[in-house]
Amino acid sequence: MVLEARGLTHRFGDRTALAGVDLAVRPGVLTGLLGPNGAGKTTLMRVLLGILEPDEGEVRTDGRPVAFSDRQRWGYMPQERGLYPAMTAGAQLTYFARVHGLDRTTAQARARTLLAELGLGDRFDQKVEQLSGGMQQRLQLGTALVHDPDVIVLDEPFAGLDPVAVEELTVTLRARVAAGRTVLLSSHQLDLVQDLCEEIVMVDHGRTVLAGPVAELRASSGRRQLRLGIPGHDGRDWLAAFPGVVVVDEAVDALRLSLPAEVDALAVLDAARRTAPVVDFGLDLPTLSQLFLAAVEDGATADSVAPPAAALGTEVRS
Amino acid sequence: MTATGFSGGVRLVAGRAIAEAWASRSWRIITGVSVLIGIALVVVPRLLGGGTTQYTLATVGEAPPGLLAALQAAGEAGEFAVTVRTVPDAAAAEALLRDGDADAALTGVAPGSTLYVAERADRTFPALVSQAALSLAITDQLAQAGLSPDEIAAIQATPPPVQVPVGRVADEGRAGVGFVSGILLYLALILTGTAIATAVATEKSSRISEVLLTALRPTQLLVGTVLGVGLLGLAQIAAIAVPAAIGLAAGGGIDLPASTTGDILLALAWFVLGLGMYAFVFAALGALVDKPTEVGAATMPANLVLVASYMFAVIVTIQDPNGWASTAASIFPVSAPLVMPIRWASGLVPPWQLVLAMALVAITAVALALVASRIYARGLTRTGRRITLREVLAG
Repeated sequence: MVLEARGLTHRFGDRTALAGVDLAVRPGVLTGLLGPNGAGKTTLMRVLLGILEPDEGEVRTDGRPVAFSDRQRWGYMPQERGLYPAMTAGAQLTYFARVHGLDRTTAQARARTLLAELGLGDRFDQKVEQLSGGMQQRLQLGTALVHDPDVIVLDEPFAGLDPVAVEELTVTLRARVAAGRTVLLSSHQLDLVQDLCEEIVMVDHGRTVLAGPVAELRASSGRRQLRLGIPGHDGRDWLAAFPGVVVVDEAVDALRLSLPAEVDALAVLDAARRTAPVVDFGLDLPTLSQLFLAAVEDGATADSVAPPAAALGTEVRS
Repeated sequence: MTATGFSGGVRLVAGRAIAEAWASRSWRIITGVSVLIGIALVVVPRLLGGGTTQYTLATVGEAPPGLLAALQAAGEAGEFAVTVRTVPDAAAAEALLRDGDADAALTGVAPGSTLYVAERADRTFPALVSQAALSLAITDQLAQAGLSPDEIAAIQATPPPVQVPVGRVADEGRAGVGFVSGILLYLALILTGTAIATAVATEKSSRISEVLLTALRPTQLLVGTVLGVGLLGLAQIAAIAVPAAIGLAAGGGIDLPASTTGDILLALAWFVLGLGMYAFVFAALGALVDKPTEVGAATMPANLVLVASYMFAVIVTIQDPNGWASTAASIFPVSAPLVMPIRWASGLVPPWQLVLAMALVAITAVALALVASRIYARGLTRTGRRITLREVLAG
């Protein structure tokens, strides 16, 4: 089911945590909620989950407002982790499954299956406090997944994980996405999720600053750089055909060009090949951090002189 | 509709708290110790005070047969037993007293005889010996004056004035049990209240409450936690009270009126009522903190109310159970759970006051629960630092 937020606003006293956030998470697409610390990610997730009431705006699934009972079929893992230390791993998962409405037998069966999937198959009767840190992290994920939720919301799931654990978590989440679940995860490590999420929503100061498919955002941004290896090239008159293209760096046998969003990189490459042999080339896409910084800068200028944000190839909703 | 209805969710939350406690060794040990305390409360006084006191009387020469009979009769009524030792002369009697081997020594019953009294002995026994000796001497003189044995018996059968005990309380023993119940009630309320606040604060700081709140309503989580931890507290105080009540009801040995067992069961009822009133307040205060270590500071207001009520009960109510202040404090709902059980044990409280106090506490409990669940729901979702009541109520 599609998870949507429209114009979400939330204030803590006189501090505005969310200032009209829009969001759409589609099933089968791993979606990242990105932004620096303090951007409002956790508050946004809490509002999505119904833990906090929005002051304005609403959360919808499949085109209708979310009801309390819908969220029984959702799973949530908060950023700050916590389990009942004196309970066994199995009892813990069974409890969370039952809280989400499963009967005892089904809940226990699900707990066993999930523990096996998380590599904790032999820990069903072991107390949580006796598990290693890594095992507790996996068990924590289990509490969000044990009832096989339709919508999975994870707050900073990669924080504190080693590379192996990141890989395991990715596999676990990809399996849910492939099964058509709606998965939203947040991270302040923008470049970590760059290759993981298919779509992203970037927030800053309680506003959406960038949203869309990662590949598209990176490819269509005005921050692409074309690297051309042209040994002994002479002159760059051919570049005159491409207004807006800026030479960033020039060496004896190489050029680095910055391409505006509307310029086709392949056309520039073809033009270069017509003048001299190109022995090496590459198109460097901006990282998500660079896109974020650009979007935040544009947002800052947008408030004063209001340039068309779309010209930069970024979709800004605020 | 949700797969778990309101009560289903409450049962899950409460059941988890109980299962976790039951699985913990420390909880089982504490409960076991509580049962032992309950048994000890009945058995120990019986061992210490329940046995009959032994007095030893030394007589110079054979004791007159009437004297021993009279003392034994008095002993049956006063729960003491008398042993008589015969000594050859007064010096030997004094020696016995000095060595602590006798409580009193009598040289005879005829006029002019001497009663030696051990300095350390309590004065009851010498007075009884003295009275018995005097009675024998009078009987002798009556016989010498020519009265028949029947006439003498008639004179001796003159009943003494009927004794009517008058005190601040109907029965000191019963009031004593009320006092002990008061201590246990106070401790149980403070400990259970703190346990509830700690449970709430722990779930809040570990963010488990956030996960639960996606599937449960705040009221379900609140009522479930109060019910679970409250039942654990009830189990613990019942572990003390039930063996004590059964032991008293089984009776014998201790000189306590039958109503004492009822008083203990009433104290259990007061625990349930009092906890029903205070528990939600403790839960709401627990939801204000950011870390479980702040629970002590956050629950201070509720603890102060409990301490003040208890202090009032043991200082004012014990001394003056039927003064206007005690009467008011035992009916005022905030202090009633701690003042009324102690006052009730004085045996002088009209039943309508008990019923009124219980009804007021029940009504207050419902009102406080409604306010507390609001604070609780808002407090749980404000994290990062300890928040004040004013912030919660304003936002």
